[in-house]
This record gives sequence, C-alpha cells and structure tokens, in this order.
Amino acid sequence: MYKLTDVTRLYAKGGRTVPAVRDLNLVISDGEWLAVQGRTGHGKSTLLNLLGGLDRPTSGIIEFDGKDLAQLREAQMTRLRAESIGFIFQTFNLVPTLSAAENAEAALIPLGIGAATRRRRVDAALDSVGLGDRARHLPGELSGGQQQRVAIARALVKEPKVLLADEPTGNLDEDTRDEIINMLEMLWRERNLTLILVTHDSTIARRAQLVGVMSKGRLSIRQDTRQRAATDSMTD
Amino acid sequence: MFFITYLWRELRRRMRQAIFIALGLAVGIGLVVTVTAASAGVKKAQSDVLSSLYGVGTDVTVTGSPPKPPSTGSAPPKGAQTFQMGPGGATVCQNGKCSNAAGQKIDHLDSAGYTSISQSKVAAVAKLKDVKAAAGGLALSDTSISIPKNFGQAGGSLPTPNSFNVDGVDTSHLSLGPLSAGSVTSGRSLKGSDANSDVAVLDSGYATSNKLKVGSTVSIIGHKFKVIGIVAQPQGGSPPAVYIPLARAQALGTEGTSSLRGKVNTIYVTAASAADIPTVQKEIKKLLPAATVTTASSLASEVTGSLSSTAKLANDLGRWLSILVLITAFAVASLLTMAAVARRVREFGTLKALGWRSRRIIAQVMGESIAMGIIGGAAGVGLGFAGAAVITAIAPKLSATVASATGQRIVSMGPGGGRSFSPTATHTVAVPMTASVTASAIAAAVLLAVVGGLLAGSFGSWRIARLRPADALARVA
Repeated sequence: MYKLTDVTRLYAKGGRTVPAVRDLNLVISDGEWLAVQGRTGHGKSTLLNLLGGLDRPTSGIIEFDGKDLAQLREAQMTRLRAESIGFIFQTFNLVPTLSAAENAEAALIPLGIGAATRRRRVDAALDSVGLGDRARHLPGELSGGQQQRVAIARALVKEPKVLLADEPTGNLDEDTRDEIINMLEMLWRERNLTLILVTHDSTIARRAQLVGVMSKGRLSIRQDTRQRAATDSMTD
Repeated sequence: MFFITYLWRELRRRMRQAIFIALGLAVGIGLVVTVTAASAGVKKAQSDVLSSLYGVGTDVTVTGSPPKPPSTGSAPPKGAQTFQMGPGGATVCQNGKCSNAAGQKIDHLDSAGYTSISQSKVAAVAKLKDVKAAAGGLALSDTSISIPKNFGQAGGSLPTPNSFNVDGVDTSHLSLGPLSAGSVTSGRSLKGSDANSDVAVLDSGYATSNKLKVGSTVSIIGHKFKVIGIVAQPQGGSPPAVYIPLARAQALGTEGTSSLRGKVNTIYVTAASAADIPTVQKEIKKLLPAATVTTASSLASEVTGSLSSTAKLANDLGRWLSILVLITAFAVASLLTMAAVARRVREFGTLKALGWRSRRIIAQVMGESIAMGIIGGAAGVGLGFAGAAVITAIAPKLSATVASATGQRIVSMGPGGGRSFSPTATHTVAVPMTASVTASAIAAAVLLAVVGGLLAGSFGSWRIARLRPADALARVA
C-alpha cells in the first residue's frame, strides 16, 4: 500500500527552514492500522497530509500502490483522493448547509456517479454508522458524535482503500470517543481498510497494530503487533 | 441536482449578505436601466423633432444658403412688388409702376428659407458613391395680404396678412422628405401619378384649424388644389401646412421675381449606410460648396432648450452616475464574496480533500455569485421600470428650439413700403418626456447582472484556485 523512502517535508517559517517531517522511512501494507502519536507541532498532521496527497514531500518518495505521489499531476492527485482515500477530521468538517445525506453525497460527486446510485450508497453508508434515520438532519441538528459518524459515512461512502483520521475523537466526550473508536475498528476489520490514525490518546493508540511516535519530524515505531497478530491468526 | 441544492442552501445561509449584494447590484442596474430609458425617451423626442423636419429615412439634408434679409431703406429688387401707404391710401408698385392697392390681394408663393438649387444637382447627388437615394423638394411659403377697399380712409379696415407653408414633394421618392414621417389619417398620400395634378395633402393641424377635409379645395396663389388626404406629423415638429407635387410647386413658386421651374431648395439624401454619412456629407459639400449640408446628428446638436439640456444630463451626469454606482456595487459584491470565501476556507479545503477539483468548487462559488447577480438584475429591471414610470409621470414637457427648414415668411412694413423675406427662422416646440424601458436595456441589465456576478465570483475563485488543501485545513486547525 504505502512505502515511504527518505521522505522530508520542509517549511519556510520566518526566514528559516523548518523540517516538519525528516528522513522518514515506513512501509504500511494493505489492511494495517497505524496509530501516530506525538506532541503538537512535531509533524503528525504533515505526515497525514503527505499520505493523503494533500501535500507533497520536499524530498523522498511516497509510493501508494506503486505510484510515486510526488510525481502525480494535481488532477491525478485529486482523482486519487476522490477514489481511494477517505478523510476524517477532528472538527468533523461537515458542510453546515448540507444535510447528513448530502454531506456524504458530496464525496461521490467527483466520481461522476449517477444520482440514484449515489442515493443508494449514501443510505447504505449512513445505515452502517447508525444514522439512517438522521439523513435529512443538518449538522447543527446533530450531536458531536453523530456529526463524526456522518463524517465517517462520508469517508466510507466511496469505498476507499485508506482511511486517514486526524484526531477523530479529539472533540468528543469519553463515551462518544469509545463509540467512535469501536465503530472505526469494526469498519477497519469488516472492510479490510488501511487505517492511519493520528491521536494523542494512548488508550486508542494501543488498539492499533502499529504505533509510531513523531518527534521533531522523525517517526519511531513503539509498538508493532503485526507479527503477533499474524501468529495468532495462524494459531487460530 | 447537487449543484443547485448546494447553491440554494448557501444563498439561504448567507441570506442577509445575499440580499445586500443583490440590492447593491439592483440599485446600480436599476439606475442604468432608468438612465437608459430616460436617454431613449430623450432620443425619441429628438428623433420626433428631427423626423418631422426632414422626414424618416433622411440621413443628410442639403439646403440652399439662406437669403439675406433686405437692409432698411434699400431699393426693392427688379420686378418685386412693393406696397406703400401714403396720405391718399395704399399703392402697389412694380418696376416703378404704381396702382391703387385698395381692394387688391397681393399673393406670393416664394422659396421660404433657402436659395434654390438646380434640380439637376439632385441627380448628381444621387450618383455620388455612398448615396443610396436622393430626392428634391421645395419648401415654399404662400404669403398673401388682402387690402380692404376702404383701407386708408377714416374708419377703414386694416390689411389682413395670411401665410402658410407649402411643400413640393417629389412623388417618385415618397420615402424621403417631411411627408414620409407623417401618417395618413384620412384619404391617401401623394403617389407617382399625381406628379402633375392639382392635388394636395394637408397637415392635420392645418386642416382642423381651417375646417378642411378630403374632397375640399385649398387655394395656393389663386390655384385650386383638391385635398386628397390628411396626414398627422409626429409631435414636436412644425410641419408644412400643404403638400403638393413638386412639379406643381415649381410651376407656381417664385424666388424673388424668378420662376422655380427646374429648381429645388432642399435635397433629402439617404446614405448607403450609417457609417457613410460623414463621407456623404463631405462629398456633397464638394459638389455643392454654397449649400448647407446638415446631418441628423449635426441638426440634433443645434437643438436647444430643455430637451437639449435633458439629453446632456442623461448622457453625461446619468451615465457617469450609473457607472459610479455600478462600480461601487461590483466592488462591494466582490469584497463580500471574497470575505465569504475567506470564511469558507475550511469547507473548500475539505471539499478538495474529498477529491473535488478546484474548478468544480469555483463553479459552485461562481454559480452563487451569478445567482445573486441575476436576482439583483431582476430587481434592478423592476427598479428601472419604476424609475422610468416616475420620470414619465413627473417630468415636465421639454422644450426644443430648432432652426426651421420651412421658416415663416415675414412681411415687413415701413415708411419705404412693405416687402417680404424669409430669414432662417427658429421655433420652439414642447415635447413630452416619456422614459420607456427598451428590450435592449433589459438585455443590458441581464448582461450587467451576469458580469457583476462573474466579477464578484472571480475574485473569490482566484483565491480558491490558489488554495492548497493542506494549508486550508492547517489554517483552521
């Protein structure tokens, strides 16, 4: 799925060059779950943006299914995001004037899918997050947890290969946090998604197969249960 | 359709701002429509005044130079009749021979305001390169003075002067000249076969005041002409009273003591195209250096009075005021759209993250701006109609003072005798001011509305196009 080789992302800040990500090497296979932790300003979101094709590295190679993202033209990158990558944001980022169903539908617009198919897929996506009965509600009429579930439905409605979640529970209370994480874990398992999740919450991070910590732009893997999971599955 | 749903919801969310932008555009566009309507009304009034003078379809009018008024005390020209009053009564003198004027009627049909031009010049003008058609005409004035038998005696009556204008019309070119602007209200107009007949068409005003109708006869220097039709000319002009065939006018009319046979004093010209008018004017001036060559636009510039002032007001102040208001409206709309885009950076960043291409987001923002522009345009057209109605309702009648091609003949009387001459006269007419919204003004309003919307949207779009999704999302975070 992902292969990052010597990836560096520099930013110009006040006349200085600041490395947000530096010399990062990482391989993430299909269906794996990577949790990224770290202090604010140490490159977590930059890494997520690079993986999601929202930003380009200053140097290095980011391969996604064998394609170097840095070499893709903007239109190709946009198409890749539309087809293969789902985003979930800490602040939900729903369009306030559109209903839950229309927000989810917005993710299908770039794919040029017909209206009837869009409606069917949106209904299914909202049902999968338990919001089938809230399809016509505006974001302002939903709780934080419900809004995040709409955002998850929006990310999943296009059936992406990768789900990138930036602090998806950062704005939620503990109960809702658990509810959302349980849902994400379930969807990850059911749909064989590659899940890359940025979080400050160690409880959530521990549920991932891979846990990396970003510090001063460098990623160090603190937990890797992939081998154990593979062994467990063989034993089972 | 998702595009429409999204657009409509956004407009509803920003209802107050949308109304503000639409109202701003509406005021600007409404002002443009009103000023255009007023300007069109003034132009129509000018056109009515001009067409009543020279007729519809006439681009250039050629007239002989105006005769000089006689100087006081100068001898009358050879062959001219003079009218003298003395202690023994009134006498009429011609070539030094005098007779008692009592009971006589002195009647002249003279070239009214201009010296004559040979009719052969009409054909020469018609042959010029950029001329489509040319027709000659004779603008004459029938002036008569009836001297009572008891004139000069104690308790005797005073002479009664009478004057009316006669227009000799080329019946083979009826689409040119003053008669072409009139509409027949009774009977028929002149036709080709009337060329040598004693038939006349009367102006409706003259016919009414003299109780004449189709079938009546009208006398021109003692010749009876059968009235075959009555025409009404556009309001604002000073039309001739009687139209007769050119050949008959040439046969009866005089210029001083000379006959007008084979002569005209006005040539009506249609250019091949509007763009050719200045060239035609130059060509004719070269062919007839002594003649006065007038175009509709040059004549319009000679129109004075409140009509002229209103035209200037509509063209200058109105136009600039409209432009100023429109620029302000466009600028406010653009700034507000920019501000709205700035507030929606997260939204657009998210859409980009979802795989929306910049141009799709730009189309969405442009759609919203154009929708606001169209709403503003529709309201602006409504305001324009209202403005035009207010102008029509409250505007006073405009006055137009124009040089008359068929000037009145003036009879001067003095100790040295009486004589008549025709200076270049002016007359003032009252023209109603009607501001009417034309289809082209509505089309211009729609165009302005779309342009306003596009302009407002383009600034926001420029910002969206430059927006990098990572930056947009990070800025919010």
